Amino acid sequence: MFGSYIKIAIRNLLRFKVYSAINIAGLAIGMTCCILILLYIYNELSYDSFHEKADRIYRINTDLKFGDTELAIPVVSDMMGSLLKQDYPQVEEYTRIYNFGGKILVKKGSDFNVEQQVACADSTFFKVFTFPAISGQTDKILNEPNTVVITESIAKKYFGTIDAVGRTIETDRGVTFFKVVAVIKDMPENSHFRFNFLFPMANSGYNSWGNLVSMNFHTYLLFKEGTDYKEFEKKFEDYNDKYAMPYAKRFLQVKSREEFEKAGNKIEHSLISLTDIHLHSKRAQEISPTGTIEYVYIFSAIALFILLIACINFMNLTTARSANRAREVGIRKVLGTNRKSLIIQFLIESTLMAFIAVLLAVNIVDYVLPFFNDIAGKELQAGNLYSSSILVFLLLLPFIIGIIAGSYPAFFLSRFMPAEIIKGKLSSGSKSGGLRSALVVFQFAASIILITGTIIIYTQLNYIQNKNLGYQKNQILIINDSYSLGNNIDAFKNEMLNVSGVISGTISDYLPIPSERNNSAFFKEAGMVSESGLTMQRWIIDYDYFKTLGIELSEGRNFSQEFGTDSSAIILNQTAVKQLGYQNPIGQKIYTWVIGGRLVDYNIIGVVKDFHFESFRQDIGPLCFVPGGSDAVSSARSQYKSTGLTSFRINAASLSTILKEAKAKWKNMSASLPFSYRFLDESFNEFYKADQRVGTIALLFSALAIIVACLGLFGLATFLAEQKTKEIGVRKVLGASIPSIILMLSREFIKWIIIANIIAIPVAYYFMNKWLEEFAYRIEISWQVFVLAGCIALVIAILTVSFQAIKAATANPVESLRYE
Amino acid sequence: MIRTANLRKIYTTDEVETTALNNVNIEIKQGEFVSIMGPSGCGKSTLLNILGLLDNPSDGELFFLDNEVAKYSERQRALLRKENIGFVFQSFNLIDELTVTENVELPLLYLGVNTADRKKKVTEALERMEIMHRANHFPQQLSGGQQQRVAVSRAIVGNPKLILADEPTGNLDSARGDEVMSILTGLNEAGTTIVMVTHSPTYAEYGNRIIHLFDGHVVTENYKEKFHV
Repeated sequence: MFGSYIKIAIRNLLRFKVYSAINIAGLAIGMTCCILILLYIYNELSYDSFHEKADRIYRINTDLKFGDTELAIPVVSDMMGSLLKQDYPQVEEYTRIYNFGGKILVKKGSDFNVEQQVACADSTFFKVFTFPAISGQTDKILNEPNTVVITESIAKKYFGTIDAVGRTIETDRGVTFFKVVAVIKDMPENSHFRFNFLFPMANSGYNSWGNLVSMNFHTYLLFKEGTDYKEFEKKFEDYNDKYAMPYAKRFLQVKSREEFEKAGNKIEHSLISLTDIHLHSKRAQEISPTGTIEYVYIFSAIALFILLIACINFMNLTTARSANRAREVGIRKVLGTNRKSLIIQFLIESTLMAFIAVLLAVNIVDYVLPFFNDIAGKELQAGNLYSSSILVFLLLLPFIIGIIAGSYPAFFLSRFMPAEIIKGKLSSGSKSGGLRSALVVFQFAASIILITGTIIIYTQLNYIQNKNLGYQKNQILIINDSYSLGNNIDAFKNEMLNVSGVISGTISDYLPIPSERNNSAFFKEAGMVSESGLTMQRWIIDYDYFKTLGIELSEGRNFSQEFGTDSSAIILNQTAVKQLGYQNPIGQKIYTWVIGGRLVDYNIIGVVKDFHFESFRQDIGPLCFVPGGSDAVSSARSQYKSTGLTSFRINAASLSTILKEAKAKWKNMSASLPFSYRFLDESFNEFYKADQRVGTIALLFSALAIIVACLGLFGLATFLAEQKTKEIGVRKVLGASIPSIILMLSREFIKWIIIANIIAIPVAYYFMNKWLEEFAYRIEISWQVFVLAGCIALVIAILTVSFQAIKAATANPVESLRYE
Repeated sequence: MIRTANLRKIYTTDEVETTALNNVNIEIKQGEFVSIMGPSGCGKSTLLNILGLLDNPSDGELFFLDNEVAKYSERQRALLRKENIGFVFQSFNLIDELTVTENVELPLLYLGVNTADRKKKVTEALERMEIMHRANHFPQQLSGGQQQRVAVSRAIVGNPKLILADEPTGNLDSARGDEVMSILTGLNEAGTTIVMVTHSPTYAEYGNRIIHLFDGHVVTENYKEKFHV
């Protein structure tokens, strides 16, 4: 019996090829999207769960408020881990990671390579985290100075073998030689850090050991089994009272915690579970860029939308076609089939189609995954498809979809009364017209929401690209790693200025592009009363910085060589002036403290107009500039001339000559680093990389959603045209023109799309407004966006439908009436 | 009114050529009532479709109101058709989704008649066919005879010169059949040319000429006494 069901199902598939193809293609596209997104979500949710003790590992976060500035950071003082372990038995172990400046140079042959994934870690690192060693021991390492743990791929890169224990690497850091004590497997892609080199803390070069209010260490706690973490978080208050406050009092000259808090300040700590860091931490200074749970939600919703659209197609087409199959059902019923076996037959047919679609989808995923990875910035593996939970899902999917999609037609068709059908009384399909239109409306509403979302994301990104930033981001060439020029850096800059096409040049530590930057506290009065203070970034620049970047002064003057006292001068941005409350800032003093707790003062000589130095998600914050130098005053203020970034404003037309010249000069002047460069506007885009990815993905999936929806519409139009063959014939006999027939056939679909628009607009508005709220600087959603999205959907729908409509309208009426 | 010369119609389906009409030469004059008879598959309906400008002949000449129309495009034929010809079918071919009034109104819509005139003409037609009391019903709510009267109303509403009827009584019982035949006779007496395909010898006798078709050939044209005398 079952065999015959399958046989009939296969024959039906083959007999109605177009119908089967539309149905299967729609489902397969829907499922492909679904599987891709599923892989993505699965990957996002799996971060850091590979650690054996993942459920017991927590990181300590810090929330600081100081004057006008609030900081949410993922780091604590160097002492906190050990003090907590000492005071609380719940803490089984702790380990710290110290970010070591982002990169080191490692010698290979006669050249130095830049290595980015480096850190210092405690010897307990491997007790807390699970990173299996390939060779060497991981339990007693990172204790001794001048040792290093490297990964498999680094071992292969520098030694050509994973058997590298006992060999040494040469770097540009302090002691230059490090002995390899262990080779570990590469850290998995779904880890919130992926270091290639781990050095012992002894080599960190950190110089504020024991400073309890200097937060620089990512600190992870391994708790004993059964610890109540929520309860433990409350102990941080005791910790602060006991350790941090006495220290802070000395520093800030406050007498008590109450006084400290009354002034609006705070130091608070909290815990975040290791596995939550990737998706839930929104803190600055994370070790690597994190994902966001919102995107996981958005993508889940998109996956569900597309799958629903595909399922609806399936239901619609099957129901619509039921009229053609009514005769078959009638005859079966006359011959004695009961309703149950008819239902089974239809469900088997739909499940079989869903099964073919899943098989197809898995193959498509295999093929398109590299492209998707490219867009999503991921390293997803098709192999993950066969990990148990996804495999179960894939096996269940055809049954779920088959039953959902097949149930309505199954129950609908099996209800027909045989006598009516045989007599031909059944007014085919019209009974289910209401449901069918509702489903199509839903499909298109979903598609329109996706289109609107895509348009708004792109408009916002475009707005960011073109907004006046307060500086000129175009035609700025940045020479990377220019510290390797050492003492030649000024000569390099000056020689470059002679190259035709180079307009100006500057040497600085920071540019308004994404980078790790620190805040320092500044005060209006020497007493360092916290109410008069704020924290802001301090950038070390040279005389040509503002000129090169096109930043304008609003008051006062720029740093100048003509003023001998400029090493104690400072320039603020307008926000800093406002937050500090100066009426006439020029000539005023401002105070800060430098390494070793010494107080230094600055004279305000100028104010620059506010410019966007952080992402558009944030308001423009306070910022100050000091000149770098090598004189005594500058050194005392640790204003060492920064050599990190050398940038030039250039004329793009002479780019190739400029690059050639720069490369030649670099070769002469730089130690051994290879020449590399980038452009400021490209780096600026890094701020919005995640958003651009989401934009591309949204665009891709809304296009697919539209395609799937159109396949459905095409199927429905085919059906409708078929169903109305007689009516079209009659009308044509009576003199109807072809356009009037096309209009008649399209009208209903147009009505559906308009209703879908009405439903989609408020939903899209709500969600996109939420997304935009994340930006401090954003576009307003205009009505044109909705008109555009609606028109796109309408035009696509009309094109889809009119193909069938034209075909039906131009058919010879005699054909359709002949067999009446 | 209509004249054919060496008319041929060939259907080609999957390598099989079927000659539906072969060398048909007939002439239908204004005011005639012509019945076409013959066994199933002899080409009656094909001939009617060609005479009604629904289909083009494969070969030969066709004159409609003194125009050679054999090579006319669908658009040109549609123009002649809607102004001059009304159709009545065996299975009525009413549109289920439209009411009686709306069905009858259709040809006027396509002729571009204004609303007031349309209403007047539809009412006239329905009253003439004595079906006015069903004006707002849907076709499926009517009996077969009533549906055919609606179909005839639709055929005459545009006041065509020619009515083509394809087995108009085929789906009706004899009482309803008689009724429809008397309506057609009445229309003919009022001046409308009628060409009717039928299986029934009795109803064929209502015409003043009977054309017998066999395998696509005209076997005989049987003129009634009216013309003999």
